[in-house]
This record gives sequence, structure tokens and C-alpha cells, in this order.
Amino acid sequence: MDQISAGIESFFANIGALDAIRVTFVMAITSTFISALLGIALGLFLERHDFTGKKVIIRINRTLMGVPPVVIGLVVYLLLMRRGPLGSLSLLFTVQGMILAQTLIITPIISGMVYAHAARSAPSIRQFARTMGADRRQTNLLMIKEMKHEIYFAIVTGFGRSISEVGAVMLVGGNIKGSTRTMTTAISLLKSQGIFTEGVTLGLSLLFMAFVLQWMADYFRKEETADENY
Amino acid sequence: MKITDLKKKTGDFTLEIADLTIHEGAIHGFVGGNGCGKTTLAKLIMGILPPDAGRIDLLNLTPLEMTMTSQRPYLLHNTVYENIIYPLKIRKWKTDEKRIDEMLELCSLLDKKHQYARSLSSGERQKVSLIRALIFNPKLIIIDETFSNMDMESVQLFEKMILDQQMNDPVTFIMISHQLAHIYKMCDHVHFFSKGKLLESGTADDIFLRSENEIIRSFMDSQMIEKRGNV
Repeated sequence: MDQISAGIESFFANIGALDAIRVTFVMAITSTFISALLGIALGLFLERHDFTGKKVIIRINRTLMGVPPVVIGLVVYLLLMRRGPLGSLSLLFTVQGMILAQTLIITPIISGMVYAHAARSAPSIRQFARTMGADRRQTNLLMIKEMKHEIYFAIVTGFGRSISEVGAVMLVGGNIKGSTRTMTTAISLLKSQGIFTEGVTLGLSLLFMAFVLQWMADYFRKEETADENY
Repeated sequence: MKITDLKKKTGDFTLEIADLTIHEGAIHGFVGGNGCGKTTLAKLIMGILPPDAGRIDLLNLTPLEMTMTSQRPYLLHNTVYENIIYPLKIRKWKTDEKRIDEMLELCSLLDKKHQYARSLSSGERQKVSLIRALIFNPKLIIIDETFSNMDMESVQLFEKMILDQQMNDPVTFIMISHQLAHIYKMCDHVHFFSKGKLLESGTADDIFLRSENEIIRSFMDSQMIEKRGNV
């Protein structure tokens, strides 16, 4: 038994897997949290208000939902490099820099998903709230409550994107062992070194996490599928 | 309630109401063909839509004392019970469990009290929305085609509930319906709309039997023929 645990310990120590898992989660949870705050607010704001340029903003948001992360990574790299406009912050090759890149990648995904759902359902929720005599605060609270499954799904999608991303974090983080190496960048490195067993193990861990996230998303959405008319 | 020089344009359609009075404690019926502006007017009264011009004087009514139910009512992603108590919750009022159970029992929904509301049939959903509208005793209730998917027995049940209510503690009702027999039976005042304009107001007999307006006559005749055809 001791031999097995020693073997596992040495496997994780050799490739810095525990650090990679820690960095991955710190980066993914923090960037998803910031993106959720920004994305939900932006999605609801776009649904609620009409103003000049709104359609352009929605199109830009939709474009950013599908932009390759490595492009965002490159932009953030150029911003954070020593001679860049934000070079004085010394965020390049740090977890904070990676969080910034991830936030820029995930926010449009969350805001786009929240906006798409809100555009369909918010008018009827607002109308209902009005007929019940709800005030503005109660109406806003009701909107969040009624759209909670979709908001959760958007957050889970953002989190999933964050833990599985490799291009941007490689560029901005630099894949430094014990500091900015994530699970995905570790897999990329292991593959280039021809160490496939460890790479597959980390890959399976990521796959398992993705499965758990998807299962949780489905669990929270199952009420929606019960919407049958009999 | 007094409506004066009201105007609302939506797309190619314009609603124009020069003068309309809704009497307190009476049952009013809005009648007319599809797209004549009945629901738009109801939404303007509720404050869901803002008017382009004119005035809706609610007199002593406040938005908290008004409600509206529709043909496809919005039900919360929650149980039947949670849907019914929502207006009480936002007013921070105590729930009268006995009254809720009585109303559910009357509507044959007591066994579905804790069922997910959106799993109900369309007629049952309409019943839940009507109970929800009645439960907080508003002073004005707009019923927009809410009886359309209900079976005759349930319609009669709600008609009785409303008429009993009017005997004891009169509430102002505005009923929008294509079921003319229902409007004739229930309403003290009937208002006929056509192409965004109020053509005539009067008692049910004035509009259904004595109107000399050609559009109204032709509408009534077509509805009668349709009814006989269905029989």
C-alpha cells in the first residue's frame, strides 16, 4: 500500500501535477467568478436597455464568443509585455495575467448566453411581475430566480472553457513549473517530451472534471425537461 | 377609471380611445375581432405598455391593487403552491392556507398543490393563474382570454366565484373574450372595439341586441353563424 502511494506521490511530484491542478483551479475559479459578475450584468443590461450601437455591441460579443483563445492570449501578451501599455504592472508570466486573459475569453461567453436567454424570457417575466405588483427590486430578483438554470449553465460553460484552455495561458503564463503551469499546459509539455502515460492521466483527470461539470449542469436543468403538458 | 384621448402605435397598428370610463365594482367586457386592440388597451391600463399620448386616470387605484391574467399565463419555475402565494409573498402578507386549499379543491387541483406548475395542462395553468389573481383581493382584475382552454364546468365554476364575489365585495373586472355567451352572461358594461377604435359602449343588451352599428351587427351575426355551424 505504501509503495502504491509512494509511486503516486512521485508521479505527481515529477511533473508538478499537484501544483498544476492547484494553479488550474485558482485560475479557473477566479476568472469564472469575475466573468460571471461582468457577463451576467452585461447580458441583462443589453436585454433591458435600448441605445445606439447596441446591435454592434451584440455582434462584437457574439464574435468574441467564438474567437480563438490564442488570439486573446496574444493581445494580452502584447498588453502585458515589459514595453506594452500595461507592462509596468509586471503581470506577464503570473497567474494574475492568466486570470486576465481567461476573463477576457469567458466574459463574452457568459454575457452572450445570458443575453440570448434573457431576450427570450425576460419580457414575459417583467410583464408578469408588473401584473403581480412587484417593485423594481422584486422584479430584478425574480428575473435572476427564473433564469437561474440558464445562468448556472452559462457559468458552468465558462468554467469548462477556462479549465480546458491551453493557448492563451501558455502565451501569457509561460508554463513555468510550480508557478504558472496548468493541467493543459502540462499535458502539452509532456506530449512534447514523449511522456504519454502522465499526459493521459492528466487528460483523464480533466475529462472527469468536465463530466462532473456537465452532470451538475444537467442535474440543475432537469426541472426544465419536466415541462410537459399532459 | 377614466381613459381620455389615449393613443398607442405599435408597428402599423394604432389604438385610439377618445373616452372610456371603467366603473368601480362593475364587470366590463371588451369585445371585438382579432387585432382590434383589446389586449393592447389592457396592457396600457396595467402600465405594461406606455401610452404615446392621452391619459389613464386610475383615480384611487394603485398598481398594487391591479392584476391581469392572460390566455397563456406566466407560471414561475416552481410548484403550484409557490405560484399562488407569490403575490402574497411580495406584499409580505400571511398566507391563508385554508383559503388556498379551498380554492384548489374547487378547481380540482388540491392533489397537484406541490406539483411543478409548468407540468400542468393549459386549462389547469389558467386555473392556477386565476386563483393567483384572486388570492390577494385586488380591486381591478383584467382577465384576457383566460377561460379559453378551460372545460365548461371550470368556466362555470369561475363564473360563479366571480358573481359571488360581486355580491359580497364587488371588484372591478375587465373581461376580454371571444366567448360572447360568457360576456353576455357576466358583464354589466360591454365595449366593442374595431381596428383600434372604441365603436360603442353600453349594457350587454345594448351591444348584443340593440346596436345599430353595422360592424357590430355583422360581427355578432358572424359569431352566431359560427356557433350554429359548430353545433
